[in-house]
Amino acid sequence: MFYNDVSSMGGDMMKKLYIFSMMVLFFTVTVSAAVAEVELTYWTHEDPNRTEIENRYIKEFETANPGVKVNRVTSPSGKMAEKVLTAFAANRGPDMFNMEIEQEYAYIVNRRLAPIDFKAVGYPSDKAIYDAYLPRVLDPATLEGKLYGLPLELTNWCIYVNDRIFKSAGLDPAKDTPKTWEDMVAVSEKIVIREGQIIKRRGFDFRYPYYLVSMVPMVEQLGGKLISDDGKKAIINDQAWIKFLTFMKEWGPNGKNLGSPTYTPARTLFNKDKNDIAMCESGLYQQGRISKDNPEFYNSKEWRVIPYPVFKNAVKNVAGNYYGHYFVVNAEKPKENQQMTWKLIGYMLSHAEEYLSKVGLIQPTLKLVKSDTYKAMPYANVFKEDMERGHIVYYGENSAKIQDQIREAVESVMLAGASPEGALEKLKRRAQEALEER
Amino acid sequence: MEETGMGLRLIPASFFMLIEDMKGRIFSSGIEHKKARWGWIFIIPSLAFFSLFSFYPIFNALYTSLFTKKLLSLARPRFIGIDNYVYLLQSPDFWNSIRATVVFTLGTFVPMVVFSLIFALFIMSRKRFQKFFQMAYYSPAVLSSVVVAAIWLLMLDPRGLANQWVNFILNTPGIDHKWLADSAMVQISTMMVYFWKYVGYFTIIFLVGLGSIPKSIHEAARTDGAGGWTDFWYITLPLLKPTTVLVSIMSMLQCLKTFSTQYLFTQGGAPMEPINVITLNLYYTTIRDRSIGLASAMSIILFCMMLFFTWLQFKTFRSEEVHY
Repeated sequence: MFYNDVSSMGGDMMKKLYIFSMMVLFFTVTVSAAVAEVELTYWTHEDPNRTEIENRYIKEFETANPGVKVNRVTSPSGKMAEKVLTAFAANRGPDMFNMEIEQEYAYIVNRRLAPIDFKAVGYPSDKAIYDAYLPRVLDPATLEGKLYGLPLELTNWCIYVNDRIFKSAGLDPAKDTPKTWEDMVAVSEKIVIREGQIIKRRGFDFRYPYYLVSMVPMVEQLGGKLISDDGKKAIINDQAWIKFLTFMKEWGPNGKNLGSPTYTPARTLFNKDKNDIAMCESGLYQQGRISKDNPEFYNSKEWRVIPYPVFKNAVKNVAGNYYGHYFVVNAEKPKENQQMTWKLIGYMLSHAEEYLSKVGLIQPTLKLVKSDTYKAMPYANVFKEDMERGHIVYYGENSAKIQDQIREAVESVMLAGASPEGALEKLKRRAQEALEER
Repeated sequence: MEETGMGLRLIPASFFMLIEDMKGRIFSSGIEHKKARWGWIFIIPSLAFFSLFSFYPIFNALYTSLFTKKLLSLARPRFIGIDNYVYLLQSPDFWNSIRATVVFTLGTFVPMVVFSLIFALFIMSRKRFQKFFQMAYYSPAVLSSVVVAAIWLLMLDPRGLANQWVNFILNTPGIDHKWLADSAMVQISTMMVYFWKYVGYFTIIFLVGLGSIPKSIHEAARTDGAGGWTDFWYITLPLLKPTTVLVSIMSMLQCLKTFSTQYLFTQGGAPMEPINVITLNLYYTTIRDRSIGLASAMSIILFCMMLFFTWLQFKTFRSEEVHY
C-alpha cells in the first residue's frame, strides 16, 4: 500500500511536470512568434564603407519596426551572380538583393521579382517615383509599365590620374592628360617603364573584363553599335569594330605593349601609389577607397579625374556607359515580406547624401544631384557630364554571354595574334546566336 | 521519360526475381549465407549513399538533357529529345572545349603517371629523409585549388617569379614568356600547376604499391644476377601493374574533370578560349547562360568520354596478373 501511495504520488508529480513543461514550451513559441514575425534576408556585395552605414540603417529600421529582423549577407561581387542564381533555382532566394542590371534583367524578364509597392517605399504613386529620379534611369528596371527595382547606385567610369607619376615622366598633369584615345597611347608611351618586354610601370590600362561598360562606347565613338535599334541584329558596322579591335591589338603585348589583361588590374594598384600605374578607369566610389587605403595620397590632392577619352575622328561623342545596381525584391516571398522589404529599401534609399559622401555611390534622384553634398564631391561635375554623354549599359537576357564573346574577340587579337577581321567574323556569328538564343 | 510497354512489363518481373534471390541469400541459414548477409549489411549504407549522390544525379542529368530548360524560367521545360546533343556536336565552341580537355588530359596525366613513379622510386631508394621527401611531394595536394591558383597567378604574372627564374636560368633578361597571355603557354601553365598539385598524391600511391612487393623477390633476382634496370623492368614494373592501372585511371579521370585551375586563371585575366575545357564551358552554360538542359547534355557527353577512356585503359592494361 505504501508503494502504491508513493507510485501514485510520483505519477501525479510527473503529470504536473509534463503539463507545466508543455505550457512553458507553448508560451515560449507564442512569444517568439509574436516577437520575430518577419525575418528578411538581404544579399549584397562586399563594400566595407557601405557595410558600415547599412548596418546602422538596418538597426534603426528594426527599432522602428518591432517584429522585423533583417539578415544582411555579403559576398564578393564576382560571386553574387552565381549565388543568387543558385538560390533562385532552388526557390531559396533572399528577400532582397542587388546586382548589376545586366545580371538582374533576366530575373525581371522571368517574373522572379516583385513589382514595386510605391506606398511601402514612401511615394504616393508610381508616377511620383519616376518624377523623383533623373530621366530614363528607371527604364532598365521597368517592364510592361511596371517598375521592379530602385537604384542603389548608378555608376559611370572616368579616368583617375596620378599627378605624381605624370610629373616624374616630365608631363604636366594640368595640360598633358589625354583627351583622345590617341593621346592616351602617346602619354602611356612616355610613362611606361619596361624591363625588356616586361612592363614595370603602365601609363593606363583598361577595365578588363567589363567590355560592355568600358569598351563598347569606344566602338560607338567610331560609328558602330553592339545591337541594332530594332534589337534584332548584333555587331553593327564592321569597320568600326575592326578599328576598335585593331586599336586593342596595338595596345597589347604583341603591339606597342602598353598593357594586358594578364597584369594586375589597374584600379587595384592605383590607390597604393607605388609608381606602377598612372591612370585607371573607375567610378566616383574610388575616391572613398583611396581615402581608406591611402589617406596620405588622398589628402595630398595629387590625383585628379578626367573625362572618358574620345577618338580623334570619332563619329559620336560618347562617354563610358553607366550601369546600375538596383535593389529588387523576391516575388516568391510572402506578401508581408515583400511589403516590409520595400519599406526597408525606401528607408535605406532615403539616405542618398550619406551613400554619396561616405561610399561615393550616386543614387540618381533629382534631389541628390541638386544637393550641396553632390556639388561638394571632388570631380562630381566630371562624372555628371560624362553620364550625360553616355547611356545605360546594354542589358538583355544574354548580355553576360555577349560580354564574354566580346572578351574572347579582344583577347584573341591582343594575346593570340588573331586578325581583327577573323575575330570580328567569329564575334558576329556568336553574338547573333546569343541574341537569338540559339 | 518515354515509356515502352514491353520494357515496363519485363521490369517488375525481373525486379521481383532479384528480391526473391536476395531473400534467399540473406535470409537462408548456413555459414556462407550468414557471411553474405553481413556483407550486404555493411555494403548497403554506402550503396545507398552512392545511389543518392552519384546514380541519381547522373540519371537526373540524362533526363534534363532531353529538355530545353532555363534556370530562372518558371515555364515548364520543353521536351526536345536529342536536340541538345545535336547542337553540341555541331558547335565549334564545344569542339574547342573537347580539344582543350583532351590536350590538357594527355599533357598532364601521362607525365603525372611517369614522374610519380620516378619520384616514388627515388624516395624508396633513399636511406634517410624518406618521410621528409614524402611530405615535400605530397604537401601541394592538401592545398585548396583557390590557394594554388592564387599562388601561381602571382608567380606567372609578367613581373612574377616564373619569368625571373626562367630568365635567370636561360640568361634572357627582360623576356616575358607570357605564361598567361600566349595560347600555348597558358595551356602549358595549367598543366604545370595541375601536375605540381597532384603528382605527390600519386607518388604516395606508387610508394604503397612498391612497398607491397615482397623484398624476397628482389633479393632472389639479385642472387640470380639481375642488375638494377633488369630488376625494375622484369620484377618491379610487372608486379606494380595493378597500382599503375589505378594511378593511370584515377589521374586520367581527374584531368578530364579539371575545372578550378582553368576557372581561376580566366578570372585572373588569362584568355578563355585555349583553356575552355568542358567543365568550364559547362559552368558558364549553367551560371552565365542559365541553360541547364544544354549543360546537362555536356555533362553526359563528358561522362561518356570518361567511361570510354576508362574502358580503353582497362583494355590496354588487360593481361594476366603477374605472380612470382
